Amino acid sequence: MMKKSIITTVFLTLMVVFPTVAQDGRDNFMVQVDGLGCPFCAYGLEKKFKEFKGIKDVKIDIETGDFSFSYPSDKALSMNDVEKQVEKAGYTPMSAKVERANGKVEESSTKEMAKKTEGTVSKNVMVAGNCAMCEARITKAAGSVSGVSNVTWDKDTKIMNVSFDAGLTSLEEIEKEIAVAGHDTKNHEAHTDDYGNLPACCKYERLSC
Amino acid sequence: MKNSIYILFVLLVASACKEQQELPKEWVLSKTIKLEGVNPIGITQLNGDIWISDGDHNRLIKIDSEGIIIQTLDSLDRPMHIDASEGVLFVPLYGTDEIFNYNPSNPQSQLPVFDYPADSLDAPASISVFKKEKAIADFYNNRILYFNGSEWISFGKEGKAEGEFYYPTDVQITKDEIWVADAYNNRIQVFDKKGIFLQMMGHDQKMNAATGIFVSEDEVYISDFENNRILIFDKNGNLRQTLKNQIEKPTDVMIKDEMLYVINYKNGKLNLFEKQEVAQKKQ
Repeated sequence: MMKKSIITTVFLTLMVVFPTVAQDGRDNFMVQVDGLGCPFCAYGLEKKFKEFKGIKDVKIDIETGDFSFSYPSDKALSMNDVEKQVEKAGYTPMSAKVERANGKVEESSTKEMAKKTEGTVSKNVMVAGNCAMCEARITKAAGSVSGVSNVTWDKDTKIMNVSFDAGLTSLEEIEKEIAVAGHDTKNHEAHTDDYGNLPACCKYERLSC
Repeated sequence: MKNSIYILFVLLVASACKEQQELPKEWVLSKTIKLEGVNPIGITQLNGDIWISDGDHNRLIKIDSEGIIIQTLDSLDRPMHIDASEGVLFVPLYGTDEIFNYNPSNPQSQLPVFDYPADSLDAPASISVFKKEKAIADFYNNRILYFNGSEWISFGKEGKAEGEFYYPTDVQITKDEIWVADAYNNRIQVFDKKGIFLQMMGHDQKMNAATGIFVSEDEVYISDFENNRILIFDKNGNLRQTLKNQIEKPTDVMIKDEMLYVINYKNGKLNLFEKQEVAQKKQ
């Protein structure tokens, strides 16, 4: 009799809980975004996500980079779509988590998200430097990363264009390698010692990361 | 006796001259006003009133001298760096790529059509109006749109070189120039009215997000957002003074009635600085 009561209680609880989740019908996304610094950035991220019709409950913390929102579950918004939209807004997704309306939870880091984008991708990112020597050092550092197929850097615009296999590496890994070579990138600041080891002519104005 | 009178006269004249010698002046904090529940982005004045855009709360507010909100305009999608001219407020709406015009003394009045190239804006961060001229800082397009009174021109693109921008957040037109807060290149850039680069300043000051700019007759003021300070330059780019007192994540600056107004996004404070004579430092 006791066993029957417990089973009935559990069943009733599930009956109450699950329909509530299903009625809500929204997936809750939580993304850690790198590069948010000021309200202009936060509002910019919000603006780009308004292109996703039906988005609600948008919250952005510029101190921590925490970005969250809800989205109708029937539209099946993917992690990859979210990552691409963050990048479109000019920032880098570091990790993401979604709690689907059906209770399923998905999590991924930047690397895992990048792997979902199979094939070669091409990205632009700002890299600090001054001269032809800088250009050689930057392209060598980026080119040394496994999966990078092509890289160019313009000393006037300071923009590096890099093509790479997203299944093998990520823009974040490439930027880190460039920072180790002594050059600040948009998202990674070179260590003071690495910057200090650069020749005098390559001592560029530091970027604020 | 005659000699004594003569010496006394000379001494008096010398003393008077010394008293009249002007001491150098610096900006000194004179008042801080807490704006309750406000995260200010932009500030301007219209007919003696102070208007502030409150980006986080999608509104424009008019405040009195004690910071009390006396008028609110709601439902504005992320209003940013605002300006005012001839009785009209100009408000860039970052979220909807529009410029909102409003005449507070006659809200029902038909305002002239603001014929900016609206469909091409992507997050307008600032507007400046100077007589018939207008300029818009087009944040995501990394450019400035400028109306010279008869036509719009566009200048700038993403980059770090002279004349290029990395997310411009504020712009001001003066008699002969266009001044731009080139936020994430951490510098100020100055252009002529054909969009030709003239000079840059502040690039040697290790700024981190140069968000708001104001240009007076002889000085240039810039808010250094992440470093919690205001830098003041002369028109040649020489640093004159740095303000840090009570400043936390500043977003905009303005001069009104010889007072320097600074708004702070994080602590919601409005700082008022006034110029005071300061004793000369010993060499």
